[in-house]
Amino acid sequence: MTSAPEALLALSDVNTFYGQAQVHFDLSINVARGHIVCLLGGNASGKSTTMKIILGLVKPRSGEVRFDGASLIGLSTPQIVRRGIASVPEARRLFADMSVRENILMGAFVRNDRDAVAQDLDRMLTLFPKLGQRLAQRAGSLSGGEQQMVAMARALMSRPRMIVMDEPTMGLSPLYVDRVLELIRAINQDGVSVFMVEQNASLALEIAHEAYVLQTGKIVLSGPARALKDDPRIRDAYLGGSEAA
Amino acid sequence: MSSWLDHTINGLIVGNVYALVAVGLALIFGVSRLINFAQGSIYLVGAYIGWIAVVHLHTPLPLTIVVVAVASAIVGLIIERFGLRPLQNSVRIAPLLATIGISFVLDQLVMLIFSPNPRALPSQLPDVRFQVGGGTIGPLDLLIAGVGLTSALLLFVFLRYTKLGWAVRATAQDRDAAMQMGVDVNRVNQAVFGIAAALGGVSGMLVGMYYNQIDTAMSLQATLKGVVAEVVGGAGNVPGAVIGSLLLGLVESYGVAVLGTSYRNLFAFLLLVVVLVLRPNGLFTSARQAPPEPLTGTFIAPSRPVNIPRWALWGATAGFAVLPLFPVSFYVLQTLINAWLLGMLGLSLTLVAGTMGQVSLGHAALLAIGAYTSALLSLTLDVPAGLAVIGGGLMSAALGTLLISPSFRLRGHYVSIATLAIGEIVALVILNWESVTRGPIGISGIPPLSLFGYDLISPTSVYWFSLAVMVVLALLQGRLLGSHLGRSFRAIRDDDIAARAYGLSLNRYKSLAFIFGGFAAGISGGIAAHLYSYINHETFNTQQSILALTVVILGGLGNVVGAIVGSVALVGLPEMFRIAAEYRILIYGIVLLLLVRFRPQGLLGTV
Ligand SMILES: Nc1ncnc2c1ncn2[C@@H]1O[C@H](COP(=O)(O)OP(=O)(O)OP(=O)(O)O)[C@@H](O)[C@H]1O
Ligand SMILES: [Mg+2]
Repeated sequence: MTSAPEALLALSDVNTFYGQAQVHFDLSINVARGHIVCLLGGNASGKSTTMKIILGLVKPRSGEVRFDGASLIGLSTPQIVRRGIASVPEARRLFADMSVRENILMGAFVRNDRDAVAQDLDRMLTLFPKLGQRLAQRAGSLSGGEQQMVAMARALMSRPRMIVMDEPTMGLSPLYVDRVLELIRAINQDGVSVFMVEQNASLALEIAHEAYVLQTGKIVLSGPARALKDDPRIRDAYLGGSEAA
Repeated sequence: MSSWLDHTINGLIVGNVYALVAVGLALIFGVSRLINFAQGSIYLVGAYIGWIAVVHLHTPLPLTIVVVAVASAIVGLIIERFGLRPLQNSVRIAPLLATIGISFVLDQLVMLIFSPNPRALPSQLPDVRFQVGGGTIGPLDLLIAGVGLTSALLLFVFLRYTKLGWAVRATAQDRDAAMQMGVDVNRVNQAVFGIAAALGGVSGMLVGMYYNQIDTAMSLQATLKGVVAEVVGGAGNVPGAVIGSLLLGLVESYGVAVLGTSYRNLFAFLLLVVVLVLRPNGLFTSARQAPPEPLTGTFIAPSRPVNIPRWALWGATAGFAVLPLFPVSFYVLQTLINAWLLGMLGLSLTLVAGTMGQVSLGHAALLAIGAYTSALLSLTLDVPAGLAVIGGGLMSAALGTLLISPSFRLRGHYVSIATLAIGEIVALVILNWESVTRGPIGISGIPPLSLFGYDLISPTSVYWFSLAVMVVLALLQGRLLGSHLGRSFRAIRDDDIAARAYGLSLNRYKSLAFIFGGFAAGISGGIAAHLYSYINHETFNTQQSILALTVVILGGLGNVVGAIVGSVALVGLPEMFRIAAEYRILIYGIVLLLLVRFRPQGLLGTV
């Protein structure tokens, strides 16, 4: 895929290593403004590492990462977050000993407009009504589904232009999975671009605009989600991916 | 005879002082998983700044407290910025070693500037005591309690209600996630180092006033007590550190009341070992934190060892062997004998810390066990000195391994704390077990070395003897490293979980490493005892443990030849340049810092 001019986030020819082991091979991904883009792949294919590259937690050996036209290479994670990227990390990573309220407000750490932050907190409670009664509770004591809600609310609190999510439906019951997908769609309709990593292809392709399939660090398939949904190679890619893992 | 209430008050006051140190340690550990061994040095610096303020500037008490807090905080910020921040992406052991180096540098600087002699630090408070129930309480007690409570309150408000305080808590729970919220972890580190240093400095000043005396020995004691209190309360747990401190203060106060002052420190270290063994996460469990990433990357800087051809090693050995045949001075031989003795200790530590990955900070205890065993065998049982030295080695191997075995299940920095505590316990037992060790008087009149009935008195014969012993130990250790056993040691060091999955029994291998290492160190201590002819509980102290660690890092962790090269360099070079004794420890500290920063793999590379 050539990089479309309207791409909000563009990774091009990224090569990543952990010590000697190469994790990404000339990885190129584009996220168009206002779209939901999904990265599919089996275990250990390098999906989470892609998230870490975007967030500056892992540095690529070569290649370019641009957000809204400016390079992110060399920026620290807090600097990248201040550019307008929020994250819902793998396994949620809440601050377990802080309260739900404190967790959500930590999402607004980069903001200084106190009143607007307070309004946004109220907005989150309408978006995630269940959290209202749990504000004072330790985040670590919530159920997995509730934690996912907190993680999403926390990410939204920075008023990001883009959210990156690592397996947001992992370990959730079907009911919560539907709810999460619904919310992602709603967030996106509010104008936030979404880049999400998923293992569950059929779920992800339901809400995504575009998708990429990663297999041992290489993009083997990409295109509009609609087209990929019926592609037999999706299944093949998965079988290949899990064999390699 | 003071009452139980007095002991309780005293315990709580001392506990308050420990708490000021321990809370800082807990904050730092929470945020960066680092045990800051320089905390006691800041406490020392705080005491001396207080002394300058009171004695020279005649500041009133409230101003003195503010001056000490601010000046100490600045020291803390400097340590963070220049000592630790450059090491952010280094191996995990690097920051720990750096704080040890920093503490040596700071302590020595204070000693050089103010001389090692104790000084009086008047409290400026009236010397009255009020009757409370069956005990008494003075204004200084109230001051210390007040400072403790105020600090706790301020800290609570900071952590609970300020943005930076939230960032500190978030970072302590999940560093990566905090960064993804936009938290600048460097600022958080700065904040906790500044706070920890301010509290630590004030604590040092208060203790100086409490005993109306300050001296440079305060530093290590404060670090040790603070670490004990913090670990007892659960590393990284701030309220836990306060409770651990009060508990430690009470245990010490009651213990001293029952058994006497020379036992004071023993309670602290026994409490630590008991807690580490029964509840390694502390009484109130440590703050949880998701495992830091990346998970790979060993504890020790990986590198390729420098390849030295065999003939060069034998050539160098032969060169040193024939050295006494040339007209060299007694002084040179003496220096090299010290280097060979330190080399044996280095061999021991490089095996345990380098090959096995158990960074011991109490290695001098192995020397002490060997020395006392050998001395007592030859003095009381008339065992020939040559045999007695071997007895010392065996005892050190057996007893050392036995003592260290409770810490086998610990990992990383905890191993260092446990070994440090065990080392201190050995020294304290030697001090207090008077019927055997003769306590503080020490053992004098230890006979010289002898071999098959011949006394080794001339420096030349002692030189050959110690060189030969060291070479034999080095050859054995080289063999060991190349064997299957040596490979298993390294496998455990690099990934103990995987090693266990392959069916390696960690305890057995750790025991074997300590047995071999204990033997080499015990032999070194034994020879030293016969050489010095007098030893006491302070002959083998923590400074020697740290010197040995510097030696093996200089040579390259795990590197046999490196341990010997490191010993010759650290013993020889200061002699060659005639550096005065009081500057040496300063230089060791600086060497350690420079190594950690610029050449963590040492001169000859890690193995
Ligand atoms: N910090 C690290 N150090 C070394 N290797 C790592 C590190 N993190 C990940 N890896 C390796 O890189 C590869 C890709 O990992 P990554 O976490 O990106 O996979 P993933 O696609 O997210 O897998 P999963 O579906 O299991 O979450 C794996 O082989 C993994 O073992
Ligand atoms: Mg993953």
